[in-house]
Amino acid sequence: MRMTEIRENHGVMEVCDRLRKEVGCDFVALALQNEVGPDVRWHYASGNVNDKYKRITVRFGKGIAGKIISSGSPMMMSDFPKDIYGKVTDHPIMLAEKLISCYAVPLFFNGSPKGVLLIGKRVSYTFSKSEQEKVKESGEALEQLLRSHILGGGP
Amino acid sequence: MEQSVSKQQIRSYIIQSQEEEIKRISLELHEGVGQNLYSILTGLQFVESGLSQPHLKNYLHEMTQLIEKTIQEIRLLSVELHPPALTTLGLLPAIKSYIKLYTSTFGVLVDFESIGEEKPIQEQKSVAVFRVCQEALTNIAKHADTSNVKMGLIWKEEELRISIIDFGGGFVADELENNAVTLGIAAMKERMLLTGGQCVISSKIGEGTSVEISLPLLEGKES
Repeated sequence: MRMTEIRENHGVMEVCDRLRKEVGCDFVALALQNEVGPDVRWHYASGNVNDKYKRITVRFGKGIAGKIISSGSPMMMSDFPKDIYGKVTDHPIMLAEKLISCYAVPLFFNGSPKGVLLIGKRVSYTFSKSEQEKVKESGEALEQLLRSHILGGGP
Repeated sequence: MEQSVSKQQIRSYIIQSQEEEIKRISLELHEGVGQNLYSILTGLQFVESGLSQPHLKNYLHEMTQLIEKTIQEIRLLSVELHPPALTTLGLLPAIKSYIKLYTSTFGVLVDFESIGEEKPIQEQKSVAVFRVCQEALTNIAKHADTSNVKMGLIWKEEELRISIIDFGGGFVADELENNAVTLGIAAMKERMLLTGGQCVISSKIGEGTSVEISLPLLEGKES
C-alpha cells in the first residue's frame, strides 16, 4: 500500500481521527515500513501543523518510532527533551510537530514490528493507563485494516 | 600575542585530533562492521533460497530484513560521523549529500544553489566549514519552526561565501536562555575564525535567521 493510498484509506483515517478525539491529544500519526526495502515512513497524520512528517524517514533504533520498531515494545515520553535517550535530533517527529509528550505502540505484521501508532501533545503530559489502552486497541484495529497490504503480511 | 597564537594552535590541535578520531570510527563502522554484516546478509540470503519449509523461510526472511536495517543504520551513522565524500570528492558533494540526509531526517526542504566553480580546499578547512553548516542546519531543525531553508554557495577566486537562511521564528541573541544554543553559536564562530574565515549570524523575530560563512581560498592555495 502506498503512502497516498493510506492517506485516502477511510478506515485508517477514521481510527486515527477517533483516537485523537477520544484521548484528547494534539497529534496522531502512523508509521509503516515501505513495501520494498527496510525504510519506515510516516504515512498518515492527524492534527499535524506542517507536512514535514511526509518527508521524514524513521531511522531504525533511533527516536521513539525507531526504538519501537527495533524493540517491539510501547514507549512514552512525558517532557521532551528532558530525560530522553540519545540526542534531541534523534527525535525528528517531536521537533517537526513541536511535541512535548507522546505515547506510541508497535504494529505487528507477520509477527514482526513493522509499524508505529503514535499520539502526542504539545504540552508536558503523562498518558494514563486507560489512554494507553485506547492506543493499543486502535493499533490492533489498524493491524487488521492494513494486514493484507503489508509486505509479508499475507491475506 | 605569542600566548594567544599558542592558544589558537592548541584549540586547532584539539579539534583536529577529535576529527581524526571521528573519521577513524566512521571508517571502522563502514569498512569493518558494515562489510561483515553485508557478508552475513549474503550468506543468509543464500541459505534462504535453499530452504523449502515456509516457516523457516519466513523466519530467515525476517532475519535478513533485520540485518538490512542494521547495515543501513551503520551506514547512516558512519556518514553522519564523517561524510566520506568530504575526503574523496570535496566540500560541495559532501554538502549536497548531507542535505539529502537532512531532508529525509527532519523533513525540512533545502533550496540549494552553488554559483561558480568549486575550488580545492584543504581537508581540515573543508571539515570545519562542513561542521559549521551542519550545526546551522541542525539548529534550524531544532529551533526555527520552519519547513524551508535557502542555502547558497558562491565560489569566488579569493573566497567561498555560504549563506544559510531560514524563514522561521528568529530569535533575539541577548534573550537566548538555552546555554547549549549560545555555546553552539560561539563554537561555530570560533571554528571559522580558526580557519581564517568568519561566521556571522543575524536574526530577527518573525523574519528568520541568516548564517553567513566566509572562507578565504587564496591562503589555502599558497600553503
